[in-house]
Amino acid sequence: MAQPARILRLVPSGPERVALESGQLDAVLDPASGKALLLPDARRALSAVGAAIANGLLAALPREDYRSLAGELEPVTLTVGEVLHEPGQRIRHVYFPNDSHVTLLIMMADRKCLEVGVVGREGMVGIGLALKAETSAVRVLVQGSGTALRMKAASFREALGRSLSLQHELLRYAYAKLVQARQSAACNRFHEVVARLACSLLRTRDRIGSDDFHLTHEELAVTLGIRRVGVTNAATTLQRRNLIIYQRGDIRILDGKGLAAASCDCYDIVRKLVA
Amino acid sequence: MRLYVANSAPNSIKAIANLEAICKKHMAEGFKLEIIDVLEFPLRALADGILVTPSLSKVSPSPAARIVGDLSDRSSVLLALGIKP
Repeated sequence: MAQPARILRLVPSGPERVALESGQLDAVLDPASGKALLLPDARRALSAVGAAIANGLLAALPREDYRSLAGELEPVTLTVGEVLHEPGQRIRHVYFPNDSHVTLLIMMADRKCLEVGVVGREGMVGIGLALKAETSAVRVLVQGSGTALRMKAASFREALGRSLSLQHELLRYAYAKLVQARQSAACNRFHEVVARLACSLLRTRDRIGSDDFHLTHEELAVTLGIRRVGVTNAATTLQRRNLIIYQRGDIRILDGKGLAAASCDCYDIVRKLVA
Repeated sequence: MRLYVANSAPNSIKAIANLEAICKKHMAEGFKLEIIDVLEFPLRALADGILVTPSLSKVSPSPAARIVGDLSDRSSVLLALGIKP
């Protein structure tokens, strides 16, 4: 493994050099500056640890438990359109999004699909593994590019076996997802499209922490399980009430309180549960 | 014993885990282990003559010994610590 010249000067020969060359070191002490210099791999790993705190599930773990996971977490960049899991396929990695988010889709035989969940920095992709499932039940599609931390399925199972806090945190999360799915089943059946669209826009805002975001007609149609013309009509209604501006997929929420009033109570019920 | 690490960098985590396993299996209770994070206390490590992390230093009983790396080679660690496997 090639190391910077400054590091090589500090570790001239002997067992330290052997350990350096076999990739077993993290840092070298520099007597001239009185500082510890991190090797490139260690620097990358530690910056990933810093970023990991952005994920709510990981941030909720006690420091000790988190440290024991950190070595297994690999920072990755997720790009819009990338598919992380396919229904029926073995789950190879779990993902803890930082600033990225993904949509969970149920694929029907007639090629129609419906969004049945979204995972962002509050959650985890591959929760099925924590519930002893080996394969994914949904297609997981990246909807917002950004970073995430990824862990191999085998490492995740081992980590789950040794950390009671991780088990508790993930069971709590899985239960929240279950309640959310039940609520959505009722919401999809009984609530008006305008209220459901308002609800969906508020959830997106909460997840990404901004009143401005991009969602195409097609994405919203999949989220709501309706045709694109239905999205246009509902968005026009909200726009006429001066709650949002919606132009070619660019959305701006003008009046968050008004939009909450226009949404169904499912928004509040699920928000309180996930918080 | 003193184990010098760089926060939670990968080799440091491995060294802690490997040393824990060795202590559990081969050492009687009552030994003392101090873990020093060189990112927090670089001058302390330099004063102790540490050049790299992870490094394990046996202070007592004499003879003093030092071993560097992730401590995955159990027999070398036991040899350095003067413990018969």
